[in-house]
Amino acid sequence: MKRYGDHRIPGRLFVVEGIDGSGKSTQLMLLHQWLKAEGYGVVFSEWNSSPLVKDTTKRGKKKQLLTPATFSLIHATDFADRTERNIIPLLKAGAVVLCDRYIYTAFARDASRGMDPEWIRELYGFAVKPTVAFYFRVPLEVAMKRINDARAGFKYYEAGMDLGLSDDPDESFRLFQSRILEEYDKMIPEFGLTVIDATLPIETQQQEMRLMVLAKLTQAKQLRVAP
Amino acid sequence: MKESYGVRLPGLELDDLTGKLIVLEGTDGVGRSTQIRLLKEWLEQQGHAVLDTGLTRSGLVGKGIKRAKEGHTLGRITLSLFYATDFADRLENEIVPALRAGFVVLTDRYIYSLMARSMVRGLDPVWVRNIHRFAPKPDAIFYLRIGVDELIPRAVFARGFDYWESGMDLYSAEDMYDSFRKYQTALLQQFDQLAEEFNFEVIDARPEPRVIFEQLKAGIERILAPPVPRPTLTAATGALEALEELTVQEAPEERRKRA
Repeated sequence: MKRYGDHRIPGRLFVVEGIDGSGKSTQLMLLHQWLKAEGYGVVFSEWNSSPLVKDTTKRGKKKQLLTPATFSLIHATDFADRTERNIIPLLKAGAVVLCDRYIYTAFARDASRGMDPEWIRELYGFAVKPTVAFYFRVPLEVAMKRINDARAGFKYYEAGMDLGLSDDPDESFRLFQSRILEEYDKMIPEFGLTVIDATLPIETQQQEMRLMVLAKLTQAKQLRVAP
Repeated sequence: MKESYGVRLPGLELDDLTGKLIVLEGTDGVGRSTQIRLLKEWLEQQGHAVLDTGLTRSGLVGKGIKRAKEGHTLGRITLSLFYATDFADRLENEIVPALRAGFVVLTDRYIYSLMARSMVRGLDPVWVRNIHRFAPKPDAIFYLRIGVDELIPRAVFARGFDYWESGMDLYSAEDMYDSFRKYQTALLQQFDQLAEEFNFEVIDARPEPRVIFEQLKAGIERILAPPVPRPTLTAATGALEALEELTVQEAPEERRKRA
């Protein structure tokens, strides 16, 4: 079992992090389109999407069966399945792998639910260290406005309703997500996250992202798929 | 009074648990479930309320694990974490509430089996121990120990070879017999190490079930409070009053606070 930072593999791993409404998924989609057009072998992997695990997670969330501990462990299981079955083999094969949310999401959420931060870090000790981890930093009010414009209301676990912070979903979301923002801020120096100002125009953020990704790709020409 | 192996779970208090946690460990086919059945009956006759539980029975993930194992597609890290999730679910929803209510909890396997399986599959021992550090330390761990030669007729003649018990995910090039031997030998080695590290009470699993049962009974009697005295006509009034007092004092409060 190789540990974080110990994997020596030819592929490149780019991940995006940030709270809901930070615009990170949009940015990753734009990066994906560009890399495909440039001819790279690109694979996308989303948080909480393992075909083996996600039904259990979905049921647990729907029936509100999850405690902080099982919430943490079931997400780690999902991540492990994607890591063992997709991320590591693909990186070994020289692919560019893009992840929407990564271990830092778990660190932020689980710590906000009261789980032991050191224990969670060790739990995810098998994860591959990303080539670049982008953190889309956004003030809470901006994120909330974006979510409210896009859909009606917050989801139960997203708003941290399981923690009983407030009976009002809006207030609970605000309290829970501000804890998460604090956790992300602590992780910037700890894991060397690359901060992107997510209040800037979409095009500006994308430009910054592409420049940084390009710098990491030129060091590895073999990644390009033959025409 | 219970403590974990070093990690506290939010909202899960362990210091007010009055029940006893008793673990039966041992490899596949060693006779754990027979003993649990006998012990449960005996304990109940003694006046103890008993919860018996085992691995992959949780409401949350039990089914998910079974389905995933049918496909034989689980990676080893994924499998370990799936089991740890299942364990956490049973711990929070079954084991701890029963201990809080003063039950004797008999568990067919515990974190040690999970650790042994993961380590046989080559996972980092430090990582494997860390995952399970939230588990409460049991009051007693009985390890039913057997050699691989004695194990084979028991485990195999009764129900045939099982894909996972034979470690076929590890040694797929071997036939089931060779694979079973290798896998169970490796597991036994891990158990022997864990036995020392976690102070298992080792019980020779070769004799017939009655003999093993007597040994387990003796071990359990040592950690249980003396049984409730049989009420007699003369003592009845006093005993009843004492009992009432006890119930008032120990009325289990709902202490699952959310952090």
